[in-house]
Amino acid sequence: MSQNKYWQGFGEVNDPDNLKKLSQDEFQEELPFEGFDDKGLIDAKAPRRDFLKYLGFSTVAATLAAGCKVPVRKAIPYANKPENLIPGVAKYYATTYVQDGNVIPVVAKVRDGRPIKIEGNDLSTLTGGGTSARAQASVLDLYDMYRAKFPLHRTVKGDEVKFEEVPKFEQIDKMVSDAIIAASGSIVLLTSTIVSPTTLDIIGKFPNLKHVQYDGVSYSGMLLANEASGFGRKIPSYDFGAAKVIVSLGADFLGTWLTPVEFSRGYSRGRKIDEKNPVMSKHYHFEGHLSMTGANADERFTHRPSEVGNLALALLAAVGGSVAAPSITDDKLKKAIDKVAANLKAHNGEALVVCGSNDKNIQIVVNAINSAIGAYGKTIDWSKPLNSFMGIDSELNDLVSQMETGQVGTLLIYGTNPVYSYNDAERFKAALKKVKVSVSFNEKMDETTELCEYIIPSHHYLESWGDAEAKPGYTSFIQPTIYPLFKTRPFQTSLLLWSGNPKEYETFFKEYWTAKLGSAEVFNKALQNGLVETVSVASAGSYNNGAVPAAASAISTYSKGTGAELVLYQKVSIGTGSQAGNPWLQELPDPVSKATWDNYVMISMTKAKELGIQLDSDYEYYPEKPVVELTIGKNKVELPVLVIPGMNADTIAVAVGYGRNEASGVTAAGVGKNVYSLATNNGTTVDYYVTGVTVTNLNKKYKIAQTQKHNSYEDRKEVIRETTLATFKKYPDVIPEYREELQNDYYNNANGSFREATLYPQHDQPGIKWGMSVDMNSCTGCSACIVACHAENNVSVVGKREVLRYHDMHWLRIDRYFISDEKNPDELKGVVFQPMMCQHCDNAPCENVCPVAATNHSSEGINQMTYNRCIGTRYCANNCPFKVRRFNWADYNGADSFPDNQDQQLVGKLDRVVGQMNDDLTRMVLNPDVTVRSRGVIEKCSFCVQKLQAAKLTAKKENRMLADGDAKTACQMACATGAIVFGNVHDKESRITKMREDNKQRGYYVLEQLHVLPNVTYFAKVRNTDELIEVEHKEGGTEVHNETGNAADSAAKLPTGVTTQEAQQ
Amino acid sequence: MSLLRYESQVRPPLVEGEKNYHQVTEDICRPVETRPTKAWWIGFIISVAFLAFGILSVTVEVIYGTGQWNLNKTVGWGWDITNFVWWIGIGHAGTLISAILLLFRQGWRTGVNRAAEAMTIFAVICAGQFPIWHMGRVWNAFFVLPYPNTRGPLWVNFNSPLLWDVFAISTYFTVSLLFWYSGLLPDLATLRDRAKKKWRKVFYGAAAFGWTGSTKHWQRHEALSLVLAGLSTPLVLSVHTIVSFDFATSVVPGWHTTIFPPYFVAGAIFSGFAMVQTLLVVTRKVLGLEEYITIEHIDVMNKVIVLTGSIVGIAYLTELFMAWYSVVPYENFAFFQNRLNLNSPYGWSYWIMMGCNVLSPQIFWIKKMRRSLELTFFMSVLINIGMWFERFVIIVTSVYRDYLPSAWSTYYRPTIWEVGFYLGTFGLFFTCYFLFSKFFPVIALAEIKHILKKNGAAYKKKMDELEHESVDEFGQKHGHDHGA
Repeated sequence: MSQNKYWQGFGEVNDPDNLKKLSQDEFQEELPFEGFDDKGLIDAKAPRRDFLKYLGFSTVAATLAAGCKVPVRKAIPYANKPENLIPGVAKYYATTYVQDGNVIPVVAKVRDGRPIKIEGNDLSTLTGGGTSARAQASVLDLYDMYRAKFPLHRTVKGDEVKFEEVPKFEQIDKMVSDAIIAASGSIVLLTSTIVSPTTLDIIGKFPNLKHVQYDGVSYSGMLLANEASGFGRKIPSYDFGAAKVIVSLGADFLGTWLTPVEFSRGYSRGRKIDEKNPVMSKHYHFEGHLSMTGANADERFTHRPSEVGNLALALLAAVGGSVAAPSITDDKLKKAIDKVAANLKAHNGEALVVCGSNDKNIQIVVNAINSAIGAYGKTIDWSKPLNSFMGIDSELNDLVSQMETGQVGTLLIYGTNPVYSYNDAERFKAALKKVKVSVSFNEKMDETTELCEYIIPSHHYLESWGDAEAKPGYTSFIQPTIYPLFKTRPFQTSLLLWSGNPKEYETFFKEYWTAKLGSAEVFNKALQNGLVETVSVASAGSYNNGAVPAAASAISTYSKGTGAELVLYQKVSIGTGSQAGNPWLQELPDPVSKATWDNYVMISMTKAKELGIQLDSDYEYYPEKPVVELTIGKNKVELPVLVIPGMNADTIAVAVGYGRNEASGVTAAGVGKNVYSLATNNGTTVDYYVTGVTVTNLNKKYKIAQTQKHNSYEDRKEVIRETTLATFKKYPDVIPEYREELQNDYYNNANGSFREATLYPQHDQPGIKWGMSVDMNSCTGCSACIVACHAENNVSVVGKREVLRYHDMHWLRIDRYFISDEKNPDELKGVVFQPMMCQHCDNAPCENVCPVAATNHSSEGINQMTYNRCIGTRYCANNCPFKVRRFNWADYNGADSFPDNQDQQLVGKLDRVVGQMNDDLTRMVLNPDVTVRSRGVIEKCSFCVQKLQAAKLTAKKENRMLADGDAKTACQMACATGAIVFGNVHDKESRITKMREDNKQRGYYVLEQLHVLPNVTYFAKVRNTDELIEVEHKEGGTEVHNETGNAADSAAKLPTGVTTQEAQQ
Repeated sequence: MSLLRYESQVRPPLVEGEKNYHQVTEDICRPVETRPTKAWWIGFIISVAFLAFGILSVTVEVIYGTGQWNLNKTVGWGWDITNFVWWIGIGHAGTLISAILLLFRQGWRTGVNRAAEAMTIFAVICAGQFPIWHMGRVWNAFFVLPYPNTRGPLWVNFNSPLLWDVFAISTYFTVSLLFWYSGLLPDLATLRDRAKKKWRKVFYGAAAFGWTGSTKHWQRHEALSLVLAGLSTPLVLSVHTIVSFDFATSVVPGWHTTIFPPYFVAGAIFSGFAMVQTLLVVTRKVLGLEEYITIEHIDVMNKVIVLTGSIVGIAYLTELFMAWYSVVPYENFAFFQNRLNLNSPYGWSYWIMMGCNVLSPQIFWIKKMRRSLELTFFMSVLINIGMWFERFVIIVTSVYRDYLPSAWSTYYRPTIWEVGFYLGTFGLFFTCYFLFSKFFPVIALAEIKHILKKNGAAYKKKMDELEHESVDEFGQKHGHDHGA
């Protein structure tokens, strides 16, 4: 052992202590500040050199900090787990969507405290769980960043208008009550029709309050007519399901007329085809423009809107009414009336006539027709009148006159927007200035609210307590699903307070219903169900034809229209415009025109020719559409044109609900034009048609964003299948024979062997195999499924600019094909709606072309997308014959690898609505079960795989087999007519298997000849007409049969896996 | 004495001007060893500017997404894949000239093969940009490589033609590069030996891999050339065949066609030769190499152009015939409505294609036209325009209106960034080509010397003289020593 001392440096030898100390303090030297003098850093005199150093450092540091912005992601966990709430598990609350007279009992899906999806309430006997596009979209309104967020006080100084926040409700209550006391004159409450019994009770108890109800689109003509016919001011229940013959005189009852969800459900009931005994109701439709309902009609006749009165009279005369038949010049219409009348008479007590007119006299005549055909008590039920749409046009007119004369001291406005929707809005605005105190309780800042002095915003329905009685005895409840997001208050609370009943509306509501239902338990049960339905006891009234002669003679004096006539209609997406600020609805393509984000003039081809609009390929292929100016008296409106087949030559149609102002948010602002002002007052009611319209071609162009541009079918095969009832009865096997022929051809080429017929192996599907079927006979095109899909799957809204570039993201679209007379394209034979989503092909062409296997097939038959594997070659989208794959062209969701990546300027500038959808508040609507896709990846319909997984997990936890109906897709649930059926096709008992089994004569696959083996069956549309489409007798087909033996033989040759599948087709 | 002739008298010499080996070396090395001309600088700067714009275009597209291009939900591929196939097509001539013509012992190839091979490599580089940058998430592009990973069973999809593309193009590029470079070795050694500046000695010395010109080297070089030629030959056919599979294996009417592989290969050679012509007509003029790249070369290549152009024409007609004969309504529509119909939105592009590719090259049946430099240049540009439209027609006019009329779209016109990307690849191509022409001999020095003795003007002249000599004269001139 050596005792030698090894050393490394001189320091170690000579000064070991100091070295030790130095090696311990890593940064041993003192900072070399000049003039530091132990006085601390602040006091040191910083010489120029140091100053520059600091400056340089801080500049660089600041630049780095600012330049490398890291996106802030917020995830706030619960500090204390609330009782009854498991994070990640959805809860469902029954509530009710009430908007524009539509009362739809719904169930709100709430995830982690946020309502994210609206589903129909199956318990309702009225809607049966059906919803509408607007009801589906209403959840997004809750998170609308343009909602009124707190009470405001509006002050005017000269030209300057200021809105000041009132921090406390007490303050604004005091301000308002002081003002009301100070103001002389009456107190008037102007609302849309109130269907809430508790609210009506509160209003009734408010001292000296005059209540005026006003609806954006009015049905007062019907109310007055029904009163004149002896039924009282009521709108009855219509049973479209019980009617064998349905005649509609311009009533868009499947889309927007009265309560379309309920009507669609009934209508589809009468039109389901039983293949063994094919019968269905017959739907005749008379109208000026092509509506969604008209598109579904069996036989459709067009006429001038001003002619509807004469048509009603003629029909009344033809069914045996004691009126003189007016002369109808149009031969086609004349024949139509006779035919319709004969059919109506043949189905006495099983027929129904509805009319969309808002004219009292016409509706009196329609009542007479219904009486003549025995509809009362059979298809029309007066014992269940509607509680909505009770507004009478003249009442608002009277109110405005009173306001003008200063008789109205206080005007309270709730749920209505007359400055926007009243046909004489300017007059209303002027009259509003004469009202001393004006209070608005609206949810959003709208055209009327921004002119009111006091604004006390109310809750969104998903934040509220409440009730809605759609019909006497049919009450559904509204319960909050989230704590109010903003400083809002139910308007009923305000009324209660101001009427000297200092009670929260919630308390009042609970007390009211507990008392009415008997006990808190019953009430809680009712809340849970969301509704109480009791047998109605309303008196039916009896028909009285006393008003008919006067009405008939009045109608005969109506001016006959010359030149162009304008019809104002509602779109299924936007309706009256109250939900126009909803991005999902604005981007929802109109079922008929397939246009988004605009209103426009629909004209006929004849009219287009008259205006010198060339219907050349440029018109069809490119989004630039000609612009015309409509002149009606002093009113002028400039609007783009869409030429639609099936329009009456002289009718032009424009949708209401557009042209909202900037206050309603970036979505609705500036989209389209407001045309409510074009409606005219006929003295009693508002007419939604105008005669004598001058249309001038301005030779300008305007871009309309349509999601489908090509209208004709181009003789494609096996895309849509449509036939007439007469043909279907005579040749029921056209479709199966064609399919058999296809299969025979196919297997012939492969020596009769399925395996040899394809290069690719058969997917193994040992357990479940999901499948869908779409009954095109039930689909009315209402588009509720599209919005449901948006909400369920976080489908992006891309804005008009992107839709124009054909970048829309809808996973589910409804294809619309016109069937026209070759010689006269204006003569529309029919329209077919075909919901088109991913077909989940077993031999999916998209799957084998993906280089990275980002899209593949599940063992349950689903064609799946793996977003984080996708590199975005778009090959799958090219190779999809159905073109249902959607690519994220830009960062629509803020989910990009590049943060804040939506500021492109030169190309692909995004609309402001994309920003709105990416707002933190709006993003609360996102479904946490579904990935938000980043830009650069493909996405498509997944059959709502997240819901299927959830259903499977639930079944597993409950230790049972998955039952049929456990797993439902969003589109299926939204559908009011049950057109979409989904389930396990390996389950012999499932609805889908049975449906396919029962509809073999109508069932087919789109583009079956490609042998991509889709998993979505379509059932052919059958139109109830006597037209017989002769089927060419295929001798070739017979030959094929002889060669290959009969169908059973060829089926027997298939390997087992295939037999199951093919047999179920 | 005609037995002494290596080739027919009617064949004009492939190297003109009675050159000897030294002159050849001097002529070909001159552009490399002198300062670049003003024209070179101007061309180079313009190319770099284009390249820079291309880089900007791609950057914007990568940052904001593919929405920077006007593709849409129906037309998923447009200019991107059109340009890809176009560049790949151009990249065919080089290897064809070097490999197949080498195997067929075509002496005239030596004048043009170097430039053509370089062109191939640059064109493949340009082509490769498109499938990479057209991806929505290009940072994940490595997913297409079958490398061992930690993602369990996640693997590439060998069924996908796009994956085949990855292999086909990378193989083709590798082999072409090796072929080109191995051919360059002797020439690099020549440049090294002639170098007077230090950096040139180092640069060319390193690049020449220690080539000494020993017999062993030559022997191995020849063997390697043959092996690589053998490897390249099937590749020339396979690359475009596989590119055509991108379309042929799909279900899209207008894409799903069995004729595509041979049709694409013929089209590729067609456009590749046209591009070679474009470049050579300019190069020979600018670099003063008219004696090496002769009218004879131009003539021969024009013959190839008229042949392949006609094959392409037959392919077009066959497609039309099949569309009619098959009675498939979709295919029928794709060909007769989307393409032939001049009134359809893209009908014009079909007729541009037909005019440029099928009709116009027929002018080359006339010898005088084949030998006109101006016409050749014009035609070569025209053909490449036509071939661009061929790809555009195939891609866009098929997919914009396929099965469901509800999904049809016509709103496809390129944005500035799509055009910018395309121009950028021109920038890339010419930047590379300018650098190549500055730093490497554009004519294969060693190889042209091979044919100098057999096809050179000096040789031919001597052979002519011999031809006219009688046996006696010959004996006197060349045999007097023996008599002594």
